[in-house]
Amino acid sequence: MFYNNPFSGLTELVSPLAVQGFTILMVGLVAFGTLMDIIHKKNVKYFFNNAKKAKQNAKVVLSTGQRTSVILKTVAHDIATTAELGRGKRRVAHVLGMYGTIIFWITSALLIFSFPTAGSTTPSAITIMWHVGAIITCVGGYWFWLFLRVDVLAEAHPWYRIIKADLFVLALLACATFGLAWSYTQFSGMIELSYLFLVLYITSNLVLFGGVYWSKFAHMFYKPGAAIQKNLAEADGSRDNLPPLADAPKQFGLGIKREQPKHY
Amino acid sequence: MTKVKTHFEESDVLIVGGGMAGTGATFEARHWGKDLKIVCVEKANIDRSGAVAQGLYAINCYMGMQWNENQPEDHVRYARNDLMGMVREDLGYDMARHVDSTVHMFDEWGLPMMKNEKTGRYLREGKWQIMIHGESYKPIVAEAAKKSADKIYNRIMITHLLMDDEKENRIGGAVGFNMRTGDYHVFKAKTVIVAAGGASHIFKPRAVGEGMGRTWYAPWSNGSAYALPIAVGAKMTQMENRIVLCRFKDGYGPVGAYFLHLKTYTQNANGENYEKKWYDHTKNLVGEYIDHHPTPTCLRNHAFIQEVMAGGGPIHMVTTEAFQDPHLETVGWENFLGMTVGQAVVWASQNIDPKYTNPELTTSEPYVMGSHATCSGAWVSGPEDLSPPEYFWGYNRMLTVDGLFGAGDTVGGSAHKFSSGSFTEGRLAAKAAVKYIEDKKADGIKVSEKQYTDLKEVIYKPLENYTVGRNEITGGTVSPSYISPIQGLQRLQRIMDEYVGGIATNYMTNENMLNRGLELLKWLEEDLENVGAEDYHQLMRAWELKHRTVTSQCVTEHTKFRTETRWPGYYYRGDHLKLDDENWHCLTVSRRDPKTKEFTMEKVPVYHIVDEKKEKKAS
Amino acid sequence: MSTFVYMTRCDGCGHCVDICPSDIMHIDETIRRAVNIEPNFCWECYSCVKACPNHAIDVRGYADFAPMGHSVRVRREEEKGTISWKIKFRNGNEKNFVSPITTKPWGKFIPKLAEEASPNQGEINSQRLYTEPNGLNIDGDLPTISKDTFKKGVYY
Repeated sequence: MFYNNPFSGLTELVSPLAVQGFTILMVGLVAFGTLMDIIHKKNVKYFFNNAKKAKQNAKVVLSTGQRTSVILKTVAHDIATTAELGRGKRRVAHVLGMYGTIIFWITSALLIFSFPTAGSTTPSAITIMWHVGAIITCVGGYWFWLFLRVDVLAEAHPWYRIIKADLFVLALLACATFGLAWSYTQFSGMIELSYLFLVLYITSNLVLFGGVYWSKFAHMFYKPGAAIQKNLAEADGSRDNLPPLADAPKQFGLGIKREQPKHY
Repeated sequence: MTKVKTHFEESDVLIVGGGMAGTGATFEARHWGKDLKIVCVEKANIDRSGAVAQGLYAINCYMGMQWNENQPEDHVRYARNDLMGMVREDLGYDMARHVDSTVHMFDEWGLPMMKNEKTGRYLREGKWQIMIHGESYKPIVAEAAKKSADKIYNRIMITHLLMDDEKENRIGGAVGFNMRTGDYHVFKAKTVIVAAGGASHIFKPRAVGEGMGRTWYAPWSNGSAYALPIAVGAKMTQMENRIVLCRFKDGYGPVGAYFLHLKTYTQNANGENYEKKWYDHTKNLVGEYIDHHPTPTCLRNHAFIQEVMAGGGPIHMVTTEAFQDPHLETVGWENFLGMTVGQAVVWASQNIDPKYTNPELTTSEPYVMGSHATCSGAWVSGPEDLSPPEYFWGYNRMLTVDGLFGAGDTVGGSAHKFSSGSFTEGRLAAKAAVKYIEDKKADGIKVSEKQYTDLKEVIYKPLENYTVGRNEITGGTVSPSYISPIQGLQRLQRIMDEYVGGIATNYMTNENMLNRGLELLKWLEEDLENVGAEDYHQLMRAWELKHRTVTSQCVTEHTKFRTETRWPGYYYRGDHLKLDDENWHCLTVSRRDPKTKEFTMEKVPVYHIVDEKKEKKAS
Repeated sequence: MSTFVYMTRCDGCGHCVDICPSDIMHIDETIRRAVNIEPNFCWECYSCVKACPNHAIDVRGYADFAPMGHSVRVRREEEKGTISWKIKFRNGNEKNFVSPITTKPWGKFIPKLAEEASPNQGEINSQRLYTEPNGLNIDGDLPTISKDTFKKGVYY
């Protein structure tokens, strides 16, 4: 299955242009949804107002060089390794889901735009990574969905309880799962099933990319911005009005914080 | 609603409540019962639950016997004096002789205690208080309890005690529900130590919006300490002895360190020392008690209240002098940050810097609890060596129900214990509970399935009320067939406020008002059959309300029974506006019949086991 | 008052839900982040504020009586055994405080009583508690009173 390029199979039914057009539409939906969110909620306006207010509390003025350095460090560390989640399972699951999705999307784009009809001549590296990306997404995502979600872990809700906040992660998992199922059934010659999973795959993508206005999708743009602002505030001393770190050695170990937040 | 799962737990010692008293009991129980099963059940999370959630800046009960600072007799005299003679001196002496070992343990465990640089001793704030950096006081003692217990259950509210179906008047355990999972929990136990919270929010607070949350005593102290024993027919004492506190306005921040360590003082809006003005007035009410030194807390309140009523307010505390000293300024602020952060928030929001502004004081709404300058609670046996025969029936801190013990707010008559004393009382109760088991008093307990299945239905009924009743209306909070917990709470608070001596009447009440209050409370009790809870969190609020209502009924009955004004400044009987030592130099005890729900009241002699110290009168 | 949660900082870890003594910190269903569902039952105990690993929770004084524009923020550092406060008044004045919260490694000097020596035979019939009488640091045994001095119902 790992060498299968499912989009090649698809382009036997519809033209590659249609598939590519659909992909561009998905990207457009993300941009549109995010823009609508920003306009309606005025969140970017709030964000920059807040940053301006915080700057008034700055103890030092950062040079452009210093700002750039902080931003780069934030991207390389906070964003690339999801540092805000601290040490633990949630971070691992998020990193898996994040890179899995990135690999899945990039390889999808490559297959759709560079090798839509290549069939068995598609470079195996790309097809393998397409499947691996989907699998890693599923590992991280299902782990999160079944065990790590805070409403399941800390509030004891059952794993099958679905709330609006689940729209993004469920749609993402659906894409990855149905994509894999589609590729597998297509490769194994189960034609009717492969059509079923194709339809589900397309629908999941529509829900995922079309639902940006209602889901947490856009947070993947907001959170990096927030991380950058936080680190800039730390660097210029304003620190969101928080006191500075205490000047004392770490010698007492962990107390309340040694356990996970599940005491019931 | 999916079917509710039931979990069973059996233990030798069951501790209800994981606050200071509960952690003390859980910790000590293991020493005496190495092989016993010890279980603690806590409504919230034991690491931060109870009144000490945000920490404490002082331990208000430490004798310092090792340095001859105080002896247990001194504590008894102090508590007796502050409560106008009405305390259980045996319980007070007992707690005071042990509290030092508790405090020394806290020191060993890592609680930062301030030291007097010159003498090396614990730094005294006042005669009884020592200063600590106690932000993590609760997590530290919680860890001690965790190390001793077989299991700590968190997020379970105990709603009822179970009784032995075999032998009359003997405890059998407790039941409650988990507010996360919604599961039903049945705890069968040979002994139960009730170490739950006293009662805040039974009188209408001064702030009624968001500010409702800023009570002096924790808002999660919902009177389970009283409601649980009352329901099974245990005797209660001094429930009329509610406490009113003079604290900083709005935030109810503590004033102890200010008066004692910073040596601040109060004045009225004209800059006068108003307390002296009310001497004669107070003497008319209480006679020679006003000449006692130190002046009892309630009498100081009384002067404050009278001064404000006479138009001399707002009363301020003069801090501008003391705050010039940077060390005292730090103490003044850290006093809040380690104990009542909300007061720092109030001052920051109102630009109050005590260096330049003298902050306002106020008297709070009344609270009912047993560990502070008040001693409402259950009627318990004292220790064998200290108790007069009427006060002893076999096991220290045991209530009038066999096998049911109490500690902390639960226990009546032992005032001025505070955190360390409550922890100590927990230790005493735990030891006695283990002895009770070793004496084979807990053999043969049987709890029938009917008992806990009947209770299960009662406990979950509010969820049913809401789900079914909700069909009647389109939406919103107004329903003709059920009330929400907050609606019931606001009604309760109004009844107590207007009829039982709340701030609405400047703490005044009389028999007519109390009877009306009882009538309204009865209707509220009936209506609580129809309280509706939307989810498990609301179910917890519903049971908090039910416990508060039972407590309030008991408080009102007691207030009606004592026909005198013993503690002006806490409350006044307008129809008996004098202290009456001839008829009322005694304790009040009540019992509510579990079946008929009728209260019977009795007077119980107060024993003075400690003489008055011969000392010169205050000038 | 009460606590509120910053949208940009909360990542839905649940520590506040787990620690709140009032059971009022819960997870919002639309964004899966923490929110204070019952501000009028918030005591401003700061347990959640201290527990949040991302400093995502802050306090706005009770609307009944606290004017806006103030800030009281905290940093509790368990491993260092410190707690740091920064208070900002409405008029911009600032105060900072740092205090210790423990003198010993957490839990290390708290005994596991199951592993300690058992009390002596018959000790349970005495009035002594664990560590006593030594733990009182006094000469002699636990104080007590002779019952001959008891006075019933009269005042001293």
